[in-house]
Amino acid sequence: MSKRLSVTLLTAPALIVLLGVFLIPMLLMLLLSFQDAKQAFTLENYALFFQDTFYLEILWRTIRVSLWTVLATLVLGYPVAMFMAQATGKMRGIVTMCILAPHLISVVIRNFGWVVVLGEKGWINETLIALGIIETPLRLLYNELGVVIGLTDSFIAYMVLALATSLYSIDPSLNKAASILGASRTRTFFSVTLPLSLPGIVAGTTLVFSLSMSAFVTPALMGGTSVKVIPVLAYEQIMSTLNWPLGAALAFLLLGSTIMLVSLYTKLIENKRYKEVFAS
Amino acid sequence: MKKINVLGLITFLVIILVNLPFLVIIPSSFTAAGYLAFPPEGFSWKWYAMILDRPEFIDSFWTSIKLATISAILATVLGTLAAFALSKYKFRGSGFINALMLSPLTVPSLIIGISALLFFTRIGIAGTFMGLLLAHILISIPYVVRLVLTGLSSFDYTLEKAGYMLGAHPLRVFWDITLPLVRPAIASGMIFSFLTSFDNVTVSLFLVAPDTTTLPLAIFSYMQETLDPLVASISSVVILLSLVFIILLEKVYGLERLFGLNSQSH
Amino acid sequence: MSFLAKVYDVELRSIMKKFQNNVVVQDFNLQVEQGEFISFLGPSGCGKTTTLNMIAGFLEPDGGDLLIKGQRMNGVPPYKRELGMVFQTYSLFPHMTVAENIAYGLKLRKVNKAEMKERVDRVLSLVKLPNVADRYPKQLSGGQRQRIAIARALVIEPSLLLLDEPLSNLDAKLREELRDELKRLHHEIGVTTIFVTHDQEEALSLSDRIVVLNHGFVEQIGTPLEIYNEPASEFVHTFIGKTNRLEGEVVEVNGDRLTVRTNDGMLIQAAKQTRSFAPNQKVIAFVRPEKIQLSATASSDAENNVKGELQIASFLGSFTECEVKVGGNTLSVKVQKLIDKATEQEAAKGIICYWNAEDVLVMPTERG
Repeated sequence: MSKRLSVTLLTAPALIVLLGVFLIPMLLMLLLSFQDAKQAFTLENYALFFQDTFYLEILWRTIRVSLWTVLATLVLGYPVAMFMAQATGKMRGIVTMCILAPHLISVVIRNFGWVVVLGEKGWINETLIALGIIETPLRLLYNELGVVIGLTDSFIAYMVLALATSLYSIDPSLNKAASILGASRTRTFFSVTLPLSLPGIVAGTTLVFSLSMSAFVTPALMGGTSVKVIPVLAYEQIMSTLNWPLGAALAFLLLGSTIMLVSLYTKLIENKRYKEVFAS
Repeated sequence: MKKINVLGLITFLVIILVNLPFLVIIPSSFTAAGYLAFPPEGFSWKWYAMILDRPEFIDSFWTSIKLATISAILATVLGTLAAFALSKYKFRGSGFINALMLSPLTVPSLIIGISALLFFTRIGIAGTFMGLLLAHILISIPYVVRLVLTGLSSFDYTLEKAGYMLGAHPLRVFWDITLPLVRPAIASGMIFSFLTSFDNVTVSLFLVAPDTTTLPLAIFSYMQETLDPLVASISSVVILLSLVFIILLEKVYGLERLFGLNSQSH
Repeated sequence: MSFLAKVYDVELRSIMKKFQNNVVVQDFNLQVEQGEFISFLGPSGCGKTTTLNMIAGFLEPDGGDLLIKGQRMNGVPPYKRELGMVFQTYSLFPHMTVAENIAYGLKLRKVNKAEMKERVDRVLSLVKLPNVADRYPKQLSGGQRQRIAIARALVIEPSLLLLDEPLSNLDAKLREELRDELKRLHHEIGVTTIFVTHDQEEALSLSDRIVVLNHGFVEQIGTPLEIYNEPASEFVHTFIGKTNRLEGEVVEVNGDRLTVRTNDGMLIQAAKQTRSFAPNQKVIAFVRPEKIQLSATASSDAENNVKGELQIASFLGSFTECEVKVGGNTLSVKVQKLIDKATEQEAAKGIICYWNAEDVLVMPTERG
């Protein structure tokens, strides 16, 4: 059996699925986004996006919510990753399990849990009212705050993973070297640990940002009708309005914006010095 | 040491945070009241009993199970074969094929869902079991390929050569020597694919029909109209089922290793 | 502390360390004078690195006192001890240039920019690497990185320099080169140094004194010559250099002269023994391979002559290592000449091994 034949036979089935369910459909979708109702070529779907401030506002809201999620996951996730890096194997395994296992349960269920917690008659409000701390319920759901909480819960695992991978690879004797040279623990963190974890920070923030931008379920369930994001708009165009070309265009515009922003960000951070130190 | 305590505290809080939904849902499902409340009022199995009266949940549950099982098996077979080809043979374009196999991971589920809908409608399988199946296989393949490749990366192919020298023919070598060493990776790929399919919402969203829907989507639609303890009870069932598979995954492969966090350097 | 008490640079008083219930360092006593080069030598797990970490402050002793320049250091964190340390893996900060790495200690001590630059340049020329200031560690070779690590430790002018197996990650040739560098640096600067190694050649060539450790116990503290020629125990003798080991019992005692009969009947003369023995005492006789000579005929000068058969001769460049079967034993012999095939064949039939009585070391059999 020749090598070429083996390779072909082994990879063909998967490639066929990829081609038929992924590549060709995406190409079709791209083409469709440039069509109008009469299936002629047009840029009107894309133009609409830039002309109508409605869409730009929604895009800005999508970006805003994503940025807040990135911040929340970073601030909460970094200490967790540091704890894991310093912990013994057994503790590390337990924490990993506790943080990653929830991720393997459907997002619909997780969001439902948050609705029970954050709702007007939800756990937090009922408890705070019962304790007399507040009189009227706090608005924690069906607004941007609720969406950010939901997205943070969804994606913090990714941030922790990216940060932990980076922190694990830092040579532990570097901390010792800094210490013996006279650096206190805080100083060592800022001089050694933080700079060397930069690749993990970049990986985590770009991943969480990208995931947040294209998230559908959480904004739909926890944002309510007043907080719409681009993915929700795209869904409505496709399933309700049946304006497939517009829906497709919106999806690609979202993808394009995400890629552009991420590229800008990485370009800014990965300057000459970064590349010298971290490029393999 | 002071520093670890602060970190430990935050870690503990974050763990509570990500598990809070489950800690709230499961008790709420046992409420005797007629509405959703946490903490629950009274104790009753009635909301679980009610699931049985709901064909939309029962039917979608079986659809999800069937879908997850078949797509897991097929994705594992397809992905494993491809991973073997990529690992064993050095050929021009293997890097490209590798990237291609992993590419669905880089594209938002939203786009995969919409594009699948558009194409499947053209060929008439939109809203059918087949359509959902193909889409679920697609999104699982990258995970299987990555896992099996990692499992094979530490595989020493000279072991196969030793087998040949001792007189074993290729199929025998594969079965006796190669397969046992990558079995954990393949098994974990299958379990992970099952979970990915069972949990999936965004892609499936565009491919379901009134008579063919998945459990997460049935819950999703129900939630748009009513929020009652029935959602809690059906969710608890899903949580339990998922937990079984998560524990299985941990035993077979290890969650740390699965997500690439095995402590090699320490 | 009375003013008559001498202040040592480093003093360990009955230092003890245990991990869980495992005692890894036991009753370690040592006084280091200013400018001394001390080596901690022993196999892995003997406690040498653990003790070094205690001196550095990364581990706390469970018993005993640690004093540096007369001050008790138990409980003082590493960043307050003003020491210099070089690690096995160099531990240069990968995200800083060479100059920034070296200047880090100075930055922490708030040295002004001009002085910082001057001191960095000075120490770079001291380690003979004046042109690498703006490079990153990954662009340097292993040997260069090690020298920068040393420079970084020295630039802060520490009272004590600690080195944790700094040469272990280098290949043989580089190791020798850097060993000479270390010797030169110590000669030039004279900083008190503690050097941890498992390589006895390094310890012997660099140290003023060596501490030989075994399973947490100090076996002997002495100059290289003392350690080599007057080992305090069988462990010290066999750890340093190769040796031939012959078990037997004392037959005759005559002042500092002994006659030992080995278990298979060979009689060995030993002279200039520092220990005293009684007749019939069970002992072990040691003789180093390089002290044994080979000849076709017996030597009249040497008191020990035995006949044997040459089994293996391995040419190793500057000497030949031979295995000679004598009675029930195999003696390892190191000769400084090349043995050709003809001689080898002759020697296989019969060869004489001879050595002086004073080159024999006799030790009592250690119980257990």
